[in-house]
Amino acid sequence: MKAGNGILKGELKVKGGKLVKCSLSVKDGAIEQIKFTGDFFMYPEEKIEELEKMLEGVRVEEITEIFDEFFPKVRIFGASKQDFFDVISIAIKNLKGDN
Amino acid sequence: MEKWRLLVHGARDAFTNMAIDESLLISGKPTIRFYKWKPSAISIGYFQGIEEEVNLKECEKHGIDVVRRISGGGAVFHDEKGEITYSLIAPEEMLPENILASCDKICSSIAHGLGYMGVDAEFSPLNDIVVNGRKISGSAQTRRQGNVLQHGTILIDLNAELMFSLLNVSAKKIEDKGIKKASKRVTCLQAEVGKVNENELIKALVRGFEEGFGIQLAEGKMDDEEMSRVKKLREKYESREWNFKR
Repeated sequence: MKAGNGILKGELKVKGGKLVKCSLSVKDGAIEQIKFTGDFFMYPEEKIEELEKMLEGVRVEEITEIFDEFFPKVRIFGASKQDFFDVISIAIKNLKGDN
Repeated sequence: MEKWRLLVHGARDAFTNMAIDESLLISGKPTIRFYKWKPSAISIGYFQGIEEEVNLKECEKHGIDVVRRISGGGAVFHDEKGEITYSLIAPEEMLPENILASCDKICSSIAHGLGYMGVDAEFSPLNDIVVNGRKISGSAQTRRQGNVLQHGTILIDLNAELMFSLLNVSAKKIEDKGIKKASKRVTCLQAEVGKVNENELIKALVRGFEEGFGIQLAEGKMDDEEMSRVKKLREKYESREWNFKR
């Protein structure tokens, strides 16, 4: 779904797991800002803010690289690295659908 | 037999409760804590959007506090009159390394304790305890500095109407669980076995933990260091900066 102010939203219920949501804005083909929310578990929790910073200015095709660097630093429960990737794809698909 | 500390706390406000749990996590002394919330409060998971999850207007109307937890997981209504919260703190090596296995061990001990209240409860992955498929308890775990904190709610009485007026339950989540009415997915001790004496409940849960973990619980107190940390941590939990960060 596309919310106001060019914010794109994605939502994913992991089968047998938790809910992962993201809202992001895109500028010149790259992520401008991104935030993940949901009822999943990740330790240490505050690392999520590091991930969101790392993704700023990153193009979609570069996300995998960032994820490969980030996810070994945390433990996640109720969702996977792939789910985080998928929820971004869901949000971005909404942008493409609009164009 | 290993001795763990038992803290039976009465009711405190949301910010103090969360500050105590974090302080205990930092010290890492093997501890089981029981507590209540006054005023009633909503706690949300670390990653949740406060406005997405909570009907803030309705909370304000009812004088209900809202606090962001240090742990992930979902939003919980801690009803002053209808719920008891537990927390378990221990060094990581005292629990299974695998997160699901550690949740299973803790929740199964609680379910075992509930058995002494006449309730046939069981662990339901990932982090719930259910009675006949209905949720009676939900938990959240975090680990840091080599220690584990798991805290969770056990429902004694349920004001479903109030609870669901305070929480914005995601349509996607309900869709996945395959049941339309969220209130049909939840139960409480009183609905299962009638009036509950809280002291008896705590005794039953203590027994559940003791037998589940092969430990002995001895009532104790927080030490000075833990107490002084609570003061500082409470400021964080009360701040808008913390609670509205997502």
